[in-house]
Amino acid sequence: MTCAHSLHTYASVQKYIYLYVLMIDEGATCQHSEAKVIHLTSEMVDEQDRLLPIANVGRVMRQILPPSAKISKEAKETIQECATEFISFVTAEASDKCYKENRKTVNGDDICWALSTLGFDTYAEAMLRYLHKYREFERQRVNQSKASNLENEAHTPIRASTDSTDSDGSNLQPEKQSESPIAFEFRVLEKGQSSKIKPAATG
Amino acid sequence: MRQAGTYSGILSGGISGKTGPHSFPLARIKKIMKKSGDDVKMISGEAPIVLSKACELFVEEITRRAWMMTMQGKRRTLHKEDVASAVIATDIFDFLVNLVSERSATSEQEEITTPPAMDLER
Repeated sequence: MTCAHSLHTYASVQKYIYLYVLMIDEGATCQHSEAKVIHLTSEMVDEQDRLLPIANVGRVMRQILPPSAKISKEAKETIQECATEFISFVTAEASDKCYKENRKTVNGDDICWALSTLGFDTYAEAMLRYLHKYREFERQRVNQSKASNLENEAHTPIRASTDSTDSDGSNLQPEKQSESPIAFEFRVLEKGQSSKIKPAATG
Repeated sequence: MRQAGTYSGILSGGISGKTGPHSFPLARIKKIMKKSGDDVKMISGEAPIVLSKACELFVEEITRRAWMMTMQGKRRTLHKEDVASAVIATDIFDFLVNLVSERSATSEQEEITTPPAMDLER
């Protein structure tokens, strides 16, 4: 039986970790100290479970920072926690609204409303446009495919029939030959900002 | 740093990245949403998609603001203290104040915690 120390890519083997911890609990032996191994795996499971993946967080951060910038591991972890908390925070507000209005399902509009209520006005405006574009895409996709719309949690491929750019700046990429999902491009401009002007530092 | 560019020219990857349409895994977002409260019962398919994008904007903003703190200190490495300063300086980030101060308060040593009760129904 392999040890937790050899699990480099725990991110992709969550079930394995659960099984492994079970085996430890049942008294399986390991050449390293059991307490330490249990701690490692349970912490991996915890982090994996409740937070956004740090790789994704790091990627978004690096897209924003100059190439020479360095990011400390703790800073990345902090932002990982903050981003996760952001999701909980917005969802709680949206869910509260649904509860008060006797609705069971939290939808995209509720999220936009929550963003606005909590002070994230710029996000709310951008997300409303994003949401409407997404709904438009979904309609096109459903119309194009003969099969019924499948409800699942995987990434939904979004196909556009034309290569067009509309007035609010979202670039809809044309359908590609492969089945891979197409990036649903969306550019956010800040209020009062023209695309031609270099943005000033935010205050 | 936001790219100055033409309104429509987002052919080179763009914010969404090349690995897929969304910056964050939708299943994970949905899991976090479900844990945010007891009255979160059902979530429409579009909600995690909108939140993934909103979260991207959020990470961009907090990173940008934290980096401004880094530059003020004439440094090139973004530290967690810069993130904490950015949170304190921004009104809409008030909900994070406890989170960033907790993180600096706890010791860096890993604590032994009891393994969580396991839910194999995934």
